[in-house]
Amino acid sequence: MYSLIPHIVNGLTLGLLFALIALGFTLIVGVMEVINLAHGAFFALGAYFALATIGGSWFAGTEFGIWWSSLSPGARYASGLIFGPLCAAGAGMILELCLRPTYGKAPLYGLLLTFGAALVIEELIRLVWGTGEQSLSVPQAINGAFLMGGLIFSKYKFYAAAFSILAIFLVWLFLEKTPYGAIIKAGSHDSEMVRALGFDLGKLRLAVFAFGAALAGLAGVIMAPIWGLRPHIGIDVVIPAFLIIVVGGVGSFWGAVAAAMLVGLAVGITGAYAAAWSMLSMYILLILVVGFRARGLFGRKSALEN
Amino acid sequence: MISLSDIPARGGSPFTPPMFVFLLALATAPFWLEAVGLYSYLGIEITIWILYAMGFNLLFGYAGLHSFGHGAYLGVGAYAFGLFQNHVGVSLWGGLLAAVLAATIAGAAVALFVAHRRGIYFALLTIAFGQVFWFCAIKLRWLTGGEDGLLGIPRPDLVIGPLRVSLQENTSLHWFSAAILGLAMLGLWRLVNAPFGRVLQAIRQNEMRARFAGYDVWRIKWLVFTLSASVAGLAGGLFAMAQESAYPDVMSLHQSGLIVMMILVGGGLVSFWGPVLGVLVYFIARDIIGGITETWLLWFGLMFVVMVMVRPEGAAGLAHVVRARFARAPVKTPVSAPAERSA
Repeated sequence: MYSLIPHIVNGLTLGLLFALIALGFTLIVGVMEVINLAHGAFFALGAYFALATIGGSWFAGTEFGIWWSSLSPGARYASGLIFGPLCAAGAGMILELCLRPTYGKAPLYGLLLTFGAALVIEELIRLVWGTGEQSLSVPQAINGAFLMGGLIFSKYKFYAAAFSILAIFLVWLFLEKTPYGAIIKAGSHDSEMVRALGFDLGKLRLAVFAFGAALAGLAGVIMAPIWGLRPHIGIDVVIPAFLIIVVGGVGSFWGAVAAAMLVGLAVGITGAYAAAWSMLSMYILLILVVGFRARGLFGRKSALEN
Repeated sequence: MISLSDIPARGGSPFTPPMFVFLLALATAPFWLEAVGLYSYLGIEITIWILYAMGFNLLFGYAGLHSFGHGAYLGVGAYAFGLFQNHVGVSLWGGLLAAVLAATIAGAAVALFVAHRRGIYFALLTIAFGQVFWFCAIKLRWLTGGEDGLLGIPRPDLVIGPLRVSLQENTSLHWFSAAILGLAMLGLWRLVNAPFGRVLQAIRQNEMRARFAGYDVWRIKWLVFTLSASVAGLAGGLFAMAQESAYPDVMSLHQSGLIVMMILVGGGLVSFWGPVLGVLVYFIARDIIGGITETWLLWFGLMFVVMVMVRPEGAAGLAHVVRARFARAPVKTPVSAPAERSA
C-alpha cells in the first residue's frame, strides 16, 4: 500500500493538469455548443510557442537575441509561460472566426471543422518545428527531485500540481465573482437571452474561445516538461480532455474537475499494476460511467444531444 | 442546405446509369491508370476505401449516426484475415469470412452500448470504443504483433469450384476487389432504397417521431451499426491482402477522422455517391498534392475547413446545385428544419 503513494501522487498531478485542459474545453462547449477537437492543438501551440520563447532561437544573432539569452532562465521561462498561452489564445480567436458559418447548424459541423483545424495546426507545427520529439527546459529551482518519507518525488510535478490548483482556483474566481464570469455563465445557459439583454454575443464567443484556448496553452506549457513535445501531442491530449467532460457532465465546472481527478487517479493507479495499460483505464471509466449515467456525473441536458 | 431526402431517389430501379459508369471505370481502371500517370496499386486502395466508405455512409449519412471510431472495424477485419491465414489455413474465402465475422461481432458488441445514444454522446462513445480497439491492437503484442502489426500476410488464390486464380498480381487483386465492391454496392443501393433505408433517414431526421411511428429505433440503430461494421470488416480483409500486412495505424482516431472527412468532402450527407467522390478526392489529393509537397495534409485540411465553412454538403451537393441551375429550375430550398438540425 505504501508503495502506491507515488502512483497516487502522479495520478493526482495528472488529474489536475487534465482538469486545466478540460476547463477550457468545457467553457467552449458550454457557451458555443461546439465540441472543439482543436483544443489539443491549442495545447500543443502553447507549449511550442513557449519552447520558442524560452529557447529564443527565432531571433538568435540579432541584438535582441543576445540580450534575450543573457536573461536568467527563470525570466525566460516566465515569459514563455505568458507568451505561449497568448499565442494559443490568438489561434483560438482565428478558429472562432472560422467557426461562425457553422453556428445554428448541426453540432456535427463544428466538430468537423475543428477536426480539420486540428489537422492543419498539427501539420503547421511539423512544418515549423520539425517532426522530432523536443523537450522544454525548466529553471533549476523547480527541477530535480527530493526525498520525503523515504520516497523520491519529482519537484516539477509538485510545482505543476500547485500551479494547476492555483489556475483552477483563479478560473473559478473569475467565473463566480466577476461580472465577466456572470456573462459567460449566462451565455452558456441561454445565449439568446444574453443577446436580448444587449451583450454582444460575437465578442463574448470570441473572448470565451480565446480564454479556453489560453487555458489549453497554459496546460501545454506546464505539461510539456513531463510529457515531452511532439507534433501529434494535440490528439493525445484532446481525447482525455473530452473524455473528462463526458464523464463529468457537459458544462459542469466541478464535474470536470472531479472527473479529471478520477481519470488521473485511474491512470495513476493502473500504472502501478500494469504500466502499459494505464491509458486504457480511462476509456473503461468512460464506458462504465456513460453506460450507467448518460449525461455523466454532474451533467445537465444539452443541445448537443440532438 | 440540402439533405439526402431532398434529392429524389430513383426508388425501385435496381440499376442506374451512374452505377454503370462507376462499374465501367472500376473494371477498366488497370488499363488506363498507368496511362494517366498513376500506378495500379492505387486502384486497389481506392476500391477498398470506397467499399469501406460506402458501408460507413450507411451509418453516417443515412442514419445520421456520427461514428468517429470506425477505423476499429476495418482494423479488426484486417487482423482477423491475417490471423486466419497464420493460424488456421491459407484460404481466401475463409479469411474474408473471418474478417467479416470478427468485425460483425465487434460491431454488434459495441452497438449494444452505443445504440441508445444520439448526437455528440454517440460520437464520443464511438471514439472511446475506437480507442479501446486501437489500444488493444498495440498492446496485445502476442496476438497482433504490437506497433509493427502482422507482417507477411499472404494473398491466397481465388478458388471458385474448379477455377483457381492467383491474386499475387495487383491487377487480378484489383478485379477481385472491384467485383466485391460492385456486389456490395448493388446490395447497399437496394438496402437504402428499401423501406429499411427510408426508416434510417427517418431516424436521422427525427428519432422521436420515428419511434412514435412504431419503429423499433434501438434495434434499427443497432442493426445499422453492426451492418456498417461488417462492411468495414470486409474492406479490412481486402486491405490486409492488398497491404500484405495488418497494423494498428488504420484504427487510430486520425484515420477514423479521415474517413469522416472523405465522406464530408464527397458529400455523403446528400448522396449515395458522396463516399465515392470523397475517396477519389482524398487519394488524388494525396498523390498529386503529395507529389508536390510533403505537407499535403495541411492543404487537404485547409480545403476541408473551407469546405465545411462554405459548402458543407460537399462535392455531391455542389453537383446537385449545379445540375439544378442548368435545368433552370430553382434550387429546392429545404423546408425541413428538423432535418437540418440533425443532418
